[in-house]
Amino acid sequence: MSYEVNINGEDRKIEILSREGNRMKVQIGEKTYDLDLTEVEPGVYSALHKGKNFNFELVRRGSKKYVVDTIGKKLDVEIIDAESRYVKSRKGGEAEDAAYISTPMPGQVVKILVEEGQEVKGGETVIIVSAMKMESEYKVVKDRVIKEILVKEGDNIDGDQPLITFE
Amino acid sequence: MIKKILIANRGEIAIRVMNSCREMGILSVAVYSGADRNSLHVRYADEAYYIGPAPSNQSYLDLEKIIEVAKKSGADAIHPGYGFLSENAGFSERCKAEGIIFIGPDAYAINTMGDKITARKTMLAAGVPVVPGTTEPITDMDDAVKTIREIGLPVMVKASAGGGGKGMRLVEKEDEIISSVKAAKSEALAAFGNDAVYVEKYINSPHHIEFQILADQHGNCIHLFERECSVQRRHQKVVEETPSPIMTPEVREDMGRHAVAAAKAVNYAGAGTIEFIADDNLNYYFLEMNTRLQVEHPITEQVVGVDLVREQINIANGEELHYRQEDLSQHGHAIEVRVYAEDTDNNFMPSPGKINYIHFPLGAGVRHDSYVYSGYEIPIYYDPMISKLVVWGNSRDEAIGRMKRALQSYKISGVKTSIPFLSRIMDVPDFKNGHYTTHFIQNHEEALKSIDNASEECVDLAAITAFVDFLKKQEQAKPASNGHADVSQWKAFGRKKAVTRL
Repeated sequence: MSYEVNINGEDRKIEILSREGNRMKVQIGEKTYDLDLTEVEPGVYSALHKGKNFNFELVRRGSKKYVVDTIGKKLDVEIIDAESRYVKSRKGGEAEDAAYISTPMPGQVVKILVEEGQEVKGGETVIIVSAMKMESEYKVVKDRVIKEILVKEGDNIDGDQPLITFE
Repeated sequence: MIKKILIANRGEIAIRVMNSCREMGILSVAVYSGADRNSLHVRYADEAYYIGPAPSNQSYLDLEKIIEVAKKSGADAIHPGYGFLSENAGFSERCKAEGIIFIGPDAYAINTMGDKITARKTMLAAGVPVVPGTTEPITDMDDAVKTIREIGLPVMVKASAGGGGKGMRLVEKEDEIISSVKAAKSEALAAFGNDAVYVEKYINSPHHIEFQILADQHGNCIHLFERECSVQRRHQKVVEETPSPIMTPEVREDMGRHAVAAAKAVNYAGAGTIEFIADDNLNYYFLEMNTRLQVEHPITEQVVGVDLVREQINIANGEELHYRQEDLSQHGHAIEVRVYAEDTDNNFMPSPGKINYIHFPLGAGVRHDSYVYSGYEIPIYYDPMISKLVVWGNSRDEAIGRMKRALQSYKISGVKTSIPFLSRIMDVPDFKNGHYTTHFIQNHEEALKSIDNASEECVDLAAITAFVDFLKKQEQAKPASNGHADVSQWKAFGRKKAVTRL
């Protein structure tokens, strides 16, 4: 299986060429790195490359998305395998406005501002979700028609859970 | 004498209060909601009682249940912390009626200061300067619009019963008046059950400077100097420091005197904070009084050397203040940052979830007030603040350097936090020079954004790390084929290699 990684919006091929314990040789894009990489604490990695010390803290978002924290910087990394390539190709170029509205974090539905079958204009708020005392409004990007409302006001929801689907 | 205190709160402040209790030989009683059985304050207390489901209005805000637990556990006092019931006059009153000591002011002080309009009137009468604005609550929309036009834009519309930035709206343009007043009123109604608002002149380049006071039940009152809290986002404090970099000894003395006068005007007893708004020339006006312990109280403790919770308990015991004004001085410089579980690069979206691993910074001059631990799941029902990192240094420069170091060694994985954002604040020249107002975060939006100039090497290594972790997780998810869990890395690699060749 061949993998790619998407870093800050750019796809690059990645392959582990050889590995012995923590020592590994990895090819990413056109470059090859000879490094020592170890998970020192759960989700915290220490990388040594040419004597230089790098610390990375990983925040997993789903099984293939990561936010990597290093001092003062955050990098978005997505692992692309055959499955995600397939999903991507099926979606075509329409990735910017999804088939449903979801939130990136768990929370509680405060208010649903639309009904099934209703037409909404781009930029209109369709649902308000609260998490940790903060209320966030979720809007549609383009003009859409509401297909199905899958939650009720007061419901507790998970992150990335479909809440409202569109035609 | 108080022998057992119920802490009607959760999170870091509950633990902070329990610390002082323990140091004073007082037993502590925790209360917890359905979401908090695993919370640290429950484990930390001598006793703990369940008080209801996760939403705070069915648990931490349910004063009947809390009173019931206080009686059942034989607690002779209740410490409310901050937030929740801490500024609820009815709760203070109720405790008194039940013969339980409320560690905080009486209902009169809370009511007078809690209602912004009454507070303004009282301050005017006490000779404390206030911001130009209305003294009557506005419930009628037309009145609101008329008054705003009279005072002149820009103005701030605030909820009478508000606090913590809720129900507050800045109106800069004529056509925003109606929508802003509406929004402020509905937020006020939702948050406080009262939609009265008032209007205040808005001060450009404002500084938020507050004074800590302590008053006993015998009419003695002292101040413990200022805290500079101008680094704010949407009226929520992000960084606090003391002394204020813009303060002069003369103004400090003046403001301190006014702070004491403000507290005395409501016969205050306990620890409290007088918030002022000051312009660049240090003209200052009374903003509001917080009749409770503040989130940022530790910086005062570090610089003045007084344990504020201990003093609250002493005052509640009826003792006279242990300090006189002339005993107190500021030593060195302290800074606090609030670490939130939020995604600062994505509109500060809350980021609840499970903390896989956390490593607190330690070392000279570092204090860390928190309640989370490795494996703890941050609930969605409460505030996203996970800890307060406080540093002390001999000078402001030393303190900033120490804060940067502490933030660098603060490791947390599993949830997104504001740590990188806080680090960047420490690097902004205006912050380093102490030239900042409450618009600081807004004005430095660009500088505070995640920097994309990470070296290519660093970006590549970060991607490799994520990839290796991904493979590792995949490997772990697979069941062992023969019951032997350990598969040699070489074998695994060989298999992968074989698959790739296809």
